[in-house]
Amino acid sequence: MTEELRKSFHEALEDVRSGIVAEAALVTELIPRVTEVLLDLDLVGAQEIIDEDDEIDEMSVALEESCYSMLALQQPMATDLRSIVTALWANSHIERSADLCVNIAKGARRIYGTTMFSPRLRGIIVQMSEEAARLYRLAMDAYVDKNAGLAAALDDIDDRLDDLQYECVVAIFEAHAAGDFDLQAAIQLALITRYYERIGDHAVNIGERVRYMVDGWMPAHAAAARVRLSRTEEPEAR
Amino acid sequence: MTLVAVLLAAALLSTAAALVVVTRRHAEFARRQARLFDLDSRGSGAELTQRLDARLPLRVRAAAAALDDVRRRERRLALVLDTMTQGAVVVDADGGVVLTNTFASSFFGARHSDAVVEGRLNQLLDGARRGEAGEDELVLFGPPRRSLLLHALPLLSGDDETVGAVVLIDDVTDHQRLDAIRRDFVANIGHELKTPVGAISLLADTLEGESDVEVVRRLGERISREVLRLGRTVEDLLEFSRIEHDERAERDIVAVQDVLDEAADRHRIAASRRRVEVSVNRPVAPIEMWADRRQLVSAVSNLIDNAVKFSEPGATVVVRSRAVGDTVVIEVRDTGRGIPRRELDRVFERFYRVDSSRRRDAGDGGVGLGLAIVRHVAANHGGTVSVSSVEGEGSVFTLTMPVAFSATDEPIAESMREDS
Repeated sequence: MTEELRKSFHEALEDVRSGIVAEAALVTELIPRVTEVLLDLDLVGAQEIIDEDDEIDEMSVALEESCYSMLALQQPMATDLRSIVTALWANSHIERSADLCVNIAKGARRIYGTTMFSPRLRGIIVQMSEEAARLYRLAMDAYVDKNAGLAAALDDIDDRLDDLQYECVVAIFEAHAAGDFDLQAAIQLALITRYYERIGDHAVNIGERVRYMVDGWMPAHAAAARVRLSRTEEPEAR
Repeated sequence: MTLVAVLLAAALLSTAAALVVVTRRHAEFARRQARLFDLDSRGSGAELTQRLDARLPLRVRAAAAALDDVRRRERRLALVLDTMTQGAVVVDADGGVVLTNTFASSFFGARHSDAVVEGRLNQLLDGARRGEAGEDELVLFGPPRRSLLLHALPLLSGDDETVGAVVLIDDVTDHQRLDAIRRDFVANIGHELKTPVGAISLLADTLEGESDVEVVRRLGERISREVLRLGRTVEDLLEFSRIEHDERAERDIVAVQDVLDEAADRHRIAASRRRVEVSVNRPVAPIEMWADRRQLVSAVSNLIDNAVKFSEPGATVVVRSRAVGDTVVIEVRDTGRGIPRRELDRVFERFYRVDSSRRRDAGDGGVGLGLAIVRHVAANHGGTVSVSSVEGEGSVFTLTMPVAFSATDEPIAESMREDS
């Protein structure tokens, strides 16, 4: 703690920022790794990923605590305040994304022994994994470079992952109908496609928080403004 | 051997680090001296010496000369470190970075997979500063996929006190790839030779005690089939070795269309058995090139062979050629199962086969030389071969070669042997 106090506020802020980048890097690495585990139905690899999640959780708790102590002790304002709030949100999204990778590993364990993936399914799964990892890399680029434009574009880039998820679900239905997949495996895999899609959503959410950090704007603000507007208009309509 | 290199480098670095500690002290002294006389401490040593010339006591001039010397050494050391293929980071007892080279510095303030390396480097350095040597292997998915070996050692002063730590970073991606190739080679070639030999030995045993003429005839047939298979494997190996060394190459003017037709004809029967159509498209104008016809047919034939093998019944394999400026482009396209992304950059290695668990149903796979042959033929003709593929959607192999290439002008065969 004394060491914490000795550090200047901006050094501490910089530490949080690089902490977020390091935590996100673990997730970006985890996505292709868990995909390999899934496609190879590698039980040992799945267990490793499940066990290693504790490290990311620990990292996340440490980052959260240093954010709180900065808020409490330094009472930052404006950009500094928004940076810390963004770090807190990003931290939570990243930690959740790591959990989703763990969910994929657990799903792979449940599918084990019931099926082999067709080349078409493998192809779609690999593409989903690459898309999710790409979104994560872009979100971190936007965060580090404070690039609000890139952050705003993430939502559109995420459409590709959504399309792939839809394609994958269709392929799962087809495989199930053809008798290649039993119902349990089909449902597991459909859930797994959802996990990939959610990882992409978390990257998009990080992007929204990056926009907030850079210029104070969030998509939810527009919606909130609409609600407020409709409330003020309502009595007149009556 | 690597360990020796690491230890050697560590020893070198520890003296280097000690030197740096000393030189830093020198530099600090000289800086103070310079400040004392109100001089620009950031100016070069030589400049300093000149400006101090004659007007100042000998002691100061000596200090300036020492500073000059120290800077030259520092620069030389930095240059040496930068030419190393290893990454190196030296920290002092408080963890402050004293020295890094170009390779290692790319991991500081990094993002994405490099940030993972940074985290691990710091952990190892912290351990080494407490006196614990450590090592770690990092597999990064990237892309690109990389394997890094990290070694951390404490730096000890004369009286065994830890004065800092050094970490060395080795990129072992290529090493591991070559190891894998060697392992696969032994496994594949052993398996390819052992299976028919085992069958022959069994059949011969049975034959010995057999008197029924009909059974003897059948066993004989089986034996010749296995011998044929064995012969084919050996022939593949010989063909590969011939092409690899570009032996007996006979260059002539070759009509590319004839090559495609001949190669396609070789596979018509096998293809129709699998209900796969092989279609050779005609280019607008006939294309001719200076090439070894036999090698070219062998290359295209190998591509078609693969395309047919991995196509579903009812599919069409399309072979076509076109001229782009002074180059000939030959393309073999299938709509088969495709190649997993992570194996794409390995398929042209000799003896490499896409994960056998997913191939068993493809029947007799050969030795895994086909695409290596294609790569060598391309190189012998001054060209390249590339592949693009999506799993479940199919693959496109593209041969790109100059219309005329003289093998004697360029030692291409040499450059292709990087993996031998």
